[in-house]
Amino acid sequence: MTQTTTASGPGGSIYDLGYRGYDGPRLGRRSAVRALFAHAIRTCFGIGRGGRAKIPPFTLAGLAILPAVIAVGFAALASQAGPGGEAIEQASPIRYESYYGLVGVLVMLFCAGQAPELFGRDQRYGVLPLYFSRVLTRPDYALAKVFGLLAVVFGVVLAPYVVLFIGRVFVAPDPVTGLGDEIGALPKFVAQALLVAGLLGGIASLISSWTPRRAYAIAAIIAVFIIPPIIVAILSQGGVGNADIARASVLLSPGDILVGANAAIFGSIPDSPSVAAANLPGWSFIVAAIVGSVGSIALTVRRYQRIST
Amino acid sequence: MSLIALSDLTRRFSGGVVALDGLTLELEPGIIGLVGANGAGKSTLIKILLGLLPPTSGRASVMDLDVQRQGTVIRQFVGYMPEYDCLPPDTSATDFVSHMARMSGLPGTAARERTAEVLRHVGLYEERYRAMGGYSTGMKQRVKLAQALVHDPRLLLLDEPTNGLDPAGRDEMLALVRRTGTEFGIAVVVASHLLGEIERVCDYLVAIDAGKLLRSGPLGSFTERTGSLAIEVEEGSDRLAAALASHGIQAVADGRTIVIAVADDRPYDIVRDAVAELGLPLVRLEQRRGSLEDLFRDGPTDGRAPVAATASPAPGAAPR
Repeated sequence: MTQTTTASGPGGSIYDLGYRGYDGPRLGRRSAVRALFAHAIRTCFGIGRGGRAKIPPFTLAGLAILPAVIAVGFAALASQAGPGGEAIEQASPIRYESYYGLVGVLVMLFCAGQAPELFGRDQRYGVLPLYFSRVLTRPDYALAKVFGLLAVVFGVVLAPYVVLFIGRVFVAPDPVTGLGDEIGALPKFVAQALLVAGLLGGIASLISSWTPRRAYAIAAIIAVFIIPPIIVAILSQGGVGNADIARASVLLSPGDILVGANAAIFGSIPDSPSVAAANLPGWSFIVAAIVGSVGSIALTVRRYQRIST
Repeated sequence: MSLIALSDLTRRFSGGVVALDGLTLELEPGIIGLVGANGAGKSTLIKILLGLLPPTSGRASVMDLDVQRQGTVIRQFVGYMPEYDCLPPDTSATDFVSHMARMSGLPGTAARERTAEVLRHVGLYEERYRAMGGYSTGMKQRVKLAQALVHDPRLLLLDEPTNGLDPAGRDEMLALVRRTGTEFGIAVVVASHLLGEIERVCDYLVAIDAGKLLRSGPLGSFTERTGSLAIEVEEGSDRLAAALASHGIQAVADGRTIVIAVADDRPYDIVRDAVAELGLPLVRLEQRRGSLEDLFRDGPTDGRAPVAATASPAPGAAPR
């Protein structure tokens, strides 16, 4: 038995260095919420949870940006090709309006991978009582985490658009006219990125707030993103049930809502045949995305108000 | 200013379990021990004081602030060490404690400084940069205490701080709690089911059973009533018991050991004289500290009613 009252025992324990109080500022709730928001953003990229946790988020974000980089390179080459280059550039499949269709699945996987880390860990390891016994309230906690995820997803969706935008401005023969040509797309892709972040991030938050088990949350999020579009496609193939229900069901499928919203925002034809077949007004997709975002965020807050600690 | 004031505090859980049953109590700052068997309502009381649980009825206030309405203000100045594991295994102690400091509203730089300070105070050095998954139970308990102290609270609520520790670890943790309370003027409430442990660090004791107040008072008043002396002799324990009885001391013989109640210094002299007169081979004289069982001895183990009858902390109850 080691005698522990000695200043330095076998374990080299020296405790008597004293304790000082803290007289500095206590910034309270707002500061805590801001710090948690920043912490949530870092958690989404795996910062502060070991080296391996950084691989999936950075890989997915990198893959999402890759087509934009390729497209800019392609446009640069095309502009070197002289007058014929413009035709080549016009044929490029990587454009603002087609970008969501290219990377939507990557963004879904990003949400499915990171939201459970953000919401499940604190439940799994019993950390919630430590948060709720501090200055922030339960809704503060939930909102800081949700908006942390939303900010990251917004960034991941927006970054390739920005690469595309800047690339196209500078590839143009004269950057000033280039800017004039491209500026119109800016509010459009910002709006689309906001809707994607709100809906996919909100749903992923809600699902992962319900279980401390990471695997369950990941599976459930992927299921909610992937399965409804398949059901919608089957319904819209015709024959199965009421045609109006088939059309309306598009508005219950997060993946299809964002395809529809993308087409409405950019004034293009929807990438998905079932969304095109539904022939719904464009605004209905945008409204559905906003309702889905706000609803899932509100339900996440409600979940944390009732969660037992 | 009263540190904690409870008025008819009751908490029922769905399913009819009554965790706290009309608890009325007022406590002054100090090191307060909260004792009770498992399920007596200790953790529930702490959670209500933190605002983690709402009371079903009654009122509770901490530092004259109502727990229901001014919870955010209270929580700025309260540190809480939960009973169960609450540390993410893939995070280092430094990162975790400094994050918790920020969650208490400290600015970033101050959070890092306080983290270094408080981890040193609890005795965590090089290992604080390692992931906590690899920590021993003793180290985890230290981190849990550190996160409760990092924002320099005025009140520390510790729920079973020695849970899972070996005897040496218990000694260190209790010494740490004692020092935190005495040297830095932080009021401490320590919940435990081990009275022997709690009486080593506390000035004041609150005993609860089945959600009701059993007794509350300065530590001395408890040990007085529950103290007993064990006398072990090689032979002649029956003769010694008879001799003590003639002096009016009721003795219980248990094989070679005799146990008597001691309320003051008088029995010691009588025991010494009786053993000498009878010429008995004395093996040991041992002061038995009161245990939780002594507190609850008045009532049968499962019948709560007789215990509840002694709920008012009226003095004069027979010790045995």
